[in-house]
Amino acid sequence: MGISFTSINQTKLSTGEVYCETLCELAEENPRIVALTADLGQSSKIGEFMKKFPNRFYQFGIAEQNMYGAAAGMAKAGLIPFTSSFAIFTSCRALDQVHTDICYQRANVKMISSHAGTSFGQAGTTHHSTEDIAIMRSMANLVVIVPADGMETANVVRAAVEYDGPVYIRINRGFDQLVYKDLDYGFEIGKAVQLAEGTDVTIIACGSGVFQAVQASAELDAVGIKARVLDMHTIKPIDKDAILKACRDTRRIITVEDHNVIGGLGGAVAEVLAESGMSCAFRRLGLQDCFSPIGYHEDLMAIHGIDTNGIVKSVHDLLKLDFEDDDDWEDEV
Amino acid sequence: MPLTKEELLAIEAKTHEHRRTIVETTLCAGSGHIGGALSMIDVTTLLYSRFMRIDPENPDWEDRDRFILSKGHAGIGFVAILADLGYIDRKDLETFNLTGSNLGIHLDANKVPGVDASTGSLGHGLSIALGTALAAKQLGKEYRTFCLLGDGECQEGSIWEVAMAIAHFNPPNLVTLVDRNHAQIDGMTEDVMPLEPFADKWRAFGFHTVTVDGHDFDAMNDAIREALHRKDMPTCIILDTCKGKGIGFCEGDYRWHYGGITQEMGEEAMRDLDAYYERRVAAIEQRGEE
Amino acid sequence: MDTRDDRYSGKIFFNAVLPLVRTIIEDVPALAASLKGKSGAFQVSAMTDEGIWATHFIVDNGKVTTALGPCADKPTVELAFKTLRDFNGFMKGTSKKLPAIRGLMRFGILIPFMRALLKMASLLKLKEAPKDEETQRLLVKLYFYLLSSGISQLNREGHPTITEWTTKSPNRVYAWTVDGYEDVAAYLRVKAGKTKAARGRYTRSQPFFTMRFIDLESALATLLGTGDMMELVAGGKMIMEGGPEFGNMLGDYMLLVGSYAQA
Repeated sequence: MGISFTSINQTKLSTGEVYCETLCELAEENPRIVALTADLGQSSKIGEFMKKFPNRFYQFGIAEQNMYGAAAGMAKAGLIPFTSSFAIFTSCRALDQVHTDICYQRANVKMISSHAGTSFGQAGTTHHSTEDIAIMRSMANLVVIVPADGMETANVVRAAVEYDGPVYIRINRGFDQLVYKDLDYGFEIGKAVQLAEGTDVTIIACGSGVFQAVQASAELDAVGIKARVLDMHTIKPIDKDAILKACRDTRRIITVEDHNVIGGLGGAVAEVLAESGMSCAFRRLGLQDCFSPIGYHEDLMAIHGIDTNGIVKSVHDLLKLDFEDDDDWEDEV
Repeated sequence: MPLTKEELLAIEAKTHEHRRTIVETTLCAGSGHIGGALSMIDVTTLLYSRFMRIDPENPDWEDRDRFILSKGHAGIGFVAILADLGYIDRKDLETFNLTGSNLGIHLDANKVPGVDASTGSLGHGLSIALGTALAAKQLGKEYRTFCLLGDGECQEGSIWEVAMAIAHFNPPNLVTLVDRNHAQIDGMTEDVMPLEPFADKWRAFGFHTVTVDGHDFDAMNDAIREALHRKDMPTCIILDTCKGKGIGFCEGDYRWHYGGITQEMGEEAMRDLDAYYERRVAAIEQRGEE
Repeated sequence: MDTRDDRYSGKIFFNAVLPLVRTIIEDVPALAASLKGKSGAFQVSAMTDEGIWATHFIVDNGKVTTALGPCADKPTVELAFKTLRDFNGFMKGTSKKLPAIRGLMRFGILIPFMRALLKMASLLKLKEAPKDEETQRLLVKLYFYLLSSGISQLNREGHPTITEWTTKSPNRVYAWTVDGYEDVAAYLRVKAGKTKAARGRYTRSQPFFTMRFIDLESALATLLGTGDMMELVAGGKMIMEGGPEFGNMLGDYMLLVGSYAQA
């Protein structure tokens, strides 16, 4: 099944719009797809779906708990509900419903959670979501995906429909830089995408961090440092093989996420490394266990060190660390 | 149309049987949510005897009627009905709450056939019921969805979110019922967090609201039938019940929301239930003669 | 007066070439057998502007260990060159000036080591690949050890071409391997101005760059300069695992070492 956009469309559409276009296309083919929102239809761009399929669109008003509970009921009765709300509300306000009604009962609900991380910077902490990856990762039965850009979001939406079970999809406000120029780069749930090769260090990123990591890799290449970049879009189930290969090949890993360094992508990667018994120099970039101030997303990323400059600096710092446990610099004779 | 005498006697007998099962199961488990189970068993038996179109051989039948016990802690009562209908083996009741059993305080939809939702966290079930009813409309199906809430449960804000939504969407074939037994864990509802004027609240939220005696099968039967026919607005049936109904030492006492019973107490409970049943049968007979 | 080039050559001969004597002794059964049960020390030294440079071998009941620098005690046998230039010339084969030999009568130590030295000289003088596999193996091994140590020695001695590279380098490992021969391998660890040459395969993680030969012939073709490197790469005989620019760079440094070790 192909999603056909013109190439002009692809580059102009923001994450939110691409997601909605894809959803509409899928809904044409699958009558069980319905969309739900909690008064965030305009903000999350699902309004387009509303226009095309008015009687498959449900507006729940500012009542997230009810929306997620109802989504569970709909899914159990055979529909495929796509819910749309801000990540902070999905993961905090309605967590009981997400946990018990959706995850525990494996309800086939696809939770689009937008304005994640500090992407809605100007709105302040009440609308930031810097804990949701940690929270959702620990929900059993839930697949957690953080797409890097509009293209990847389209792929995720399509994969989510094909996957039987609840999925948490974390996106931003919709003004992300493009990482992929088209859809055909081999997206697969649970498989990281390698965007740059290198054996000095690996930068594992998700969401907005991916574009920044790619930029950083290019900058580092110019000074002779070869950084591998992995788009780790699926936080759960995480691509353990890619992580362990990076550990073995490059011995240094930096994770980048618009999220608290506790429990998110960094935590997930650390778990894999620690259990493997392989040693590796490791650093998590993200919000250093703090709430974010108000600001534009780009500025906040810089403040928290998860932009290109922050990544480049961290790589330099990491390269100075010695991880060989012998300090013996004598030639063998 | 009122129930015939035969039908009434049949339901009374069935309900009595379930009451006894509740006590038996509680004895096996050592303790249980007796109070709330005894207050809701009447309406639930009525629903499953007269209204629910189901097929125990085929628990996932897409067109089945749904029953969502939002006050999930009354599972010890619901489970008696499920055993009676053959969804589960009667013998399994002996394992209630034991490690490794499929049956526990809050019935698990993943594990127990015939359970449409895993409830227990109060305030969720009605949202799930709404979603279920909306799906029926979306898919062009005619199944009915019944949701039974607890009254203490209505202190949860999420209930009022879904109440607003039900009035707004008004899906057909959704009936909301509240087991108003006036008691919760820490005391009577009106002492803990007053719900009155309760019926007015539901009305204000857009429901056609009726209050009936939750132990009067005729009244409940009429209310449910009327609810199923009403199309212009959703219905909320408030069942005025008594927590622990049928057992002397439980009746009306909020402390029997959850309790343990000894063999002795169990025997006393059975005697009470039998006496209670006899009184009710006598009342029906007497009415029949009049 | 020792020139810089004298010193570079000297370091390479003392610290990269002479240590190969032990490899030869261990690899050639007859030589190993001839030292069986013997104990003593064999040293080669030269007088330089900085004092005595030397490499010595301790034999303990037949087991040989190598050590850079002069022996603490008086060695059993010593080849002592008067000047660094004499030593370099001797090693390059351009000078006939013999060293003073102390301990001439201590045949038990003298003979095996002299034979090993001569064997080494003959092997390293080869212009074409030997025919038998055993000799090929030994020769490739010698070269791998020589070149990795040689680059490291040039770094220690402050050769500007090498130090420019090592100073800027993050922690990286460069390796040489031959498919199918686990023991025919060497690697060089580089970090922020420091280097360490080591023998065998680097197994801790994937090296930053590996010059990988698919067989001994291809390795020798490159090392002896009888094969065209481009052709070897194109033909898949030599595989650069890592950025090709690093392969070229490494190749240049290998040639640099070679230039100081040859006439």
